[in-house]
Amino acid sequence: MTDQARLFDRPLLRRRRDRFAAKFRHHDFLFAHCAEEIAGRLQAVLHEFPLCLDLGAHRGDLGRAVSALPNIGQVIYGELSEVLARHCPSPAVVCDEECLPFADASLDLVVSGLSLHHVNDLPGALIQIRRALKPDGLFLAAMLGGATLSELREALLIAESEEGGASPRVAPFADIREAGALLQRSGFALPVADTESLTVSYRSLRDLLNEIRGMGAANVLLERKRAPLLRRTLNRAEAIYRERFGLSDGRIPATFEIVYLSGWSPAPGQQKPLRPGSAQHRLADALHTEESAAGDKAGFPRRKLDKEE
Amino acid sequence: MPDAPKRPEPAPDPKLLEILVCPLTKTTLDYDAARQELISRAARLAYPIRDGIPIMLPDEARKLDAD
Repeated sequence: MTDQARLFDRPLLRRRRDRFAAKFRHHDFLFAHCAEEIAGRLQAVLHEFPLCLDLGAHRGDLGRAVSALPNIGQVIYGELSEVLARHCPSPAVVCDEECLPFADASLDLVVSGLSLHHVNDLPGALIQIRRALKPDGLFLAAMLGGATLSELREALLIAESEEGGASPRVAPFADIREAGALLQRSGFALPVADTESLTVSYRSLRDLLNEIRGMGAANVLLERKRAPLLRRTLNRAEAIYRERFGLSDGRIPATFEIVYLSGWSPAPGQQKPLRPGSAQHRLADALHTEESAAGDKAGFPRRKLDKEE
Repeated sequence: MPDAPKRPEPAPDPKLLEILVCPLTKTTLDYDAARQELISRAARLAYPIRDGIPIMLPDEARKLDAD
């Protein structure tokens, strides 16, 4: 892939995660939330998964939650940051989501909690995940979606453009419609994408930025301005933030949109959508309505389409 | 202060080794237990294993000399 198409500085992300690994504990509420949600969803799947990978494991909380389930066997923890990987239970492996080191058809389940939104080549990563899954293997992931930190994005954009030059400070996150289509294009069967929005309130912009840094999620865009934000710009951004979004109790809200993705590695005998035209019963009967032929749209000037004889 | 006695290197998980491949070429790896490395002949790289954790990043791998 060319440099123009790369959004994220992955080596920087790795260094950031290494550096903030110790603090991560205090800023992991989103990760804990997603771990609980994904484990809950897995519990409802009547399927045995002997070998599972927690991809982008951070400190391994998702993998731990998953390994406690009765239908899960061994969990492998894959993490980009070596420092974080050392906090994971064994066996852990340091790996990059963009360049997976797992053999084809070797895993029964891949789960991922809030890591895939930092991947430059998401279709490529999804294809590699699908290939690493055995037939009838399941992929279940949470990633940050497009509405995440929309308030911060807006406030910083306005504050910086007032000074005559905005630079991307908040990463573009995946859109749910794109994500669903990507799953399908990556060869997953029965792809499902759904979204959840969480709003968290902070005392100040400084607290919010500390939290984002603590998550290891600070700006890693390649196109980012190398210069840090000036205090003046930050103060202006905070004023705009409060003016546009401020809560009555003096706190500021921050939106986190979580996109959940799930898809199965195709296998014979798996549930499939029926071929078009293969229906045994009429939809109109089920709906207790009159069926009208296609093309008989209300108000359509039908006569003009008729051939003159 | 004298150095703490060196713990023996924990061995990597055998099940994990079974499914790991070279991230660049997706080919099989040879496990060098003495050097604690995973060798990719196809990519001519040796991936280090530190404290039982394989580091499967091409940036961190040792380049092998051409024969």
